[in-house]
Amino acid sequence: MFSWDLLIGALVFGLLLGCFYAAVSIGLSLSFGLLDVPHIAHPSFLVAGAYATWWLAGFGWDPILAGLFLAPVFFVLGVVMYRLYYAMFEKHGSDAGLRGLAFFFGVAFIIEVCLILVFGVDQRLVEAVYIGKSIDFTDDLRIPMRLLVAFAAALLLTIGLTLYLGKTYMGRAIKAVAQDQIALSLMGADPVKVKQWAFGIATAVTAIAGALLIIIGPVDPQLGRIYIGRTFCVVVLAGLGSMSGTLVAGLILGVAETIVLTFFGASWAPAVAFGLLLVMLGVRPQGLFGR
Amino acid sequence: MALELNISGVEAGYGAVRALQGVSLNVKQGETVALLGTNGNGKSTLMKCLTGLVRPTAGKITLTIDGVEHNLIGKGPQEIVNLGVAMVAEGRRLFPRLTVEENLYLGAYRPLARADLSKNLEFCYATFPILKQRSKQLAGSMSGGQQQMVAIARALMSAPKLLLVDEPSVGLSPLLVSQTIEKIGELNRKHGMTVLMAEQNFHQTIKIAHRGYVLVHGEIAFESSNVAELENNEMVKNLYLGA
Repeated sequence: MFSWDLLIGALVFGLLLGCFYAAVSIGLSLSFGLLDVPHIAHPSFLVAGAYATWWLAGFGWDPILAGLFLAPVFFVLGVVMYRLYYAMFEKHGSDAGLRGLAFFFGVAFIIEVCLILVFGVDQRLVEAVYIGKSIDFTDDLRIPMRLLVAFAAALLLTIGLTLYLGKTYMGRAIKAVAQDQIALSLMGADPVKVKQWAFGIATAVTAIAGALLIIIGPVDPQLGRIYIGRTFCVVVLAGLGSMSGTLVAGLILGVAETIVLTFFGASWAPAVAFGLLLVMLGVRPQGLFGR
Repeated sequence: MALELNISGVEAGYGAVRALQGVSLNVKQGETVALLGTNGNGKSTLMKCLTGLVRPTAGKITLTIDGVEHNLIGKGPQEIVNLGVAMVAEGRRLFPRLTVEENLYLGAYRPLARADLSKNLEFCYATFPILKQRSKQLAGSMSGGQQQMVAIARALMSAPKLLLVDEPSVGLSPLLVSQTIEKIGELNRKHGMTVLMAEQNFHQTIKIAHRGYVLVHGEIAFESSNVAELENNEMVKNLYLGA
C-alpha cells in the first residue's frame, strides 16, 4: 500500500512533528546534555507546563502567551530544584549521577501524582484560533496549523539558545561548567551559580514546550512517560549539549516515527525512539554533533 | 600602578597532612619570582592558597594594589580573580570540548576584562600566533605544547596584574619546556608582567627568574635575592644537580 503521496505527506508531517520534538527536548539538551544532570523528570515538567497552560487558558489566555508567562515562574522552580539537587547530592561528590537519577525519578512521580490529585486523570485540551484548522495543499496533504506553531517555536528556541550559549559570557560558562569546574572558578565564575542559572533556563524552556504540548494534542498526567524515551533519544542522537544538533535529531525522530506510523502501523511507532537511541549508542555514542 | 604580594607564615594541609608549615615570601611589581621544589613539597598547595582554592589554616596573604591592601585569605577564587590575579593551573585545565577561541573568551569572564576583550585577544594572538590559526580547533585535540599556550593565553585574557603559573613544564618535551618558559620570561621583559611561577625544572626557571625560593617539605628552605645565589647554593645542588 505504498504511494508517493503518502510518503510525501508523511515526510512533511514528520518534519513538522520533528520540530515539535526538538522543542520539547531542547531543555533537556541543556540540563542533561550540558550540565550532566540526569534530569529524568524533564518530561514531567513538560506535562506540568501543559497543565499550567490549560489552567491559564481557562481564564481566556492564549496558550502561547500562557507558556511565555509561565517561563519565568518555571525558571524560579528550576533554580530551586537545582539548589535542592546540589545540596543533597552534587556537593558531596562523585556518585551524584546515579543517586541524582533516583532523585529526579522521585520528582517525576511526585509531579505526576500531584497533577492527578489536582486535575484528575481526564485528558485536557485547549482551544485557540490556530488549533483544529489546517492549510490544505491537496486532499492528502493537509498541514495542521498547530504544527506550524510548533515549527516556529522550535526554530526560535533553537536559534535563541544557540546565540545565548555562543555569544554571551554566561552562555559560554554554561558550556564549560561540566567540563572543568575548578578551571571555571579560576576564570572568575561561580560554577554553582552558573549551573543553577542554566537549570533555570532549561526549566523555563519546558514551560514554553509544555504549552506546545497541549497545543499539539490533549494531555493527561501520565503523558510524560512516553516523552522520556523521545526526549532522551533526541538529546543523545544530537550529541550531548548541541542545540542545532537537537533540532536535527528532533527532525530525524519525527520523520522516522511518522514513516513507521504510516507504513507499518501505529503500534510500532513508540519503538522508534528507543530503537534510534540504542542504534546511536551502539554506532556513534558521541551523537551526530557530539564533540 | 604598584603591586605587592605578601605571604607570611602560611600553613595549610589536607586532613592530617601538613602541606605548608609557615611559608613566607613576597613578590613585587615587575618581578619574576620562582618557587622551586621537587614534587610533593607544597608548591601547588601554596598556589591554591593564593587563588582561594585551598584555605590556609594560619598565616597572612595580602595583595597590595596601589596602596590598598586586600586580604586574600577567606576570599573565594571569584573575588581573587576580580582583583586581577590569574592562574595558569597545573595540568593546564582547559575546557577540552570547547574551541581555542571559546577557551580564550572564558578567560575574559571577569567584568573588568570584558571591555578590553578584542584588545586582549589581539595581544594573545600576537604572542602566540599559532593560536590564531587554530582558533576554531577543539582545545582537547591540540598537542601538549599548544595546550599550554592556550592555558597561558587564557590567563592573559583576564588582563591580570599578577600572573601565577603552576608547573608549566608538566607533560612537555624538553624543547617545549624551554619555549614555554621563555614565553613567560618574555611576558615579563616586554610587557612588565609580574609573575610568580612554581616549577621543578630548575635550569629553565633560573633563565627567566629574578629571585627564587626553594620549598622543601612545606617550608622555605632557601631564599635568594638573585639567581647566581641560587645556582651556587649547596642545598640546591644537592636537590637538583646531585652532589
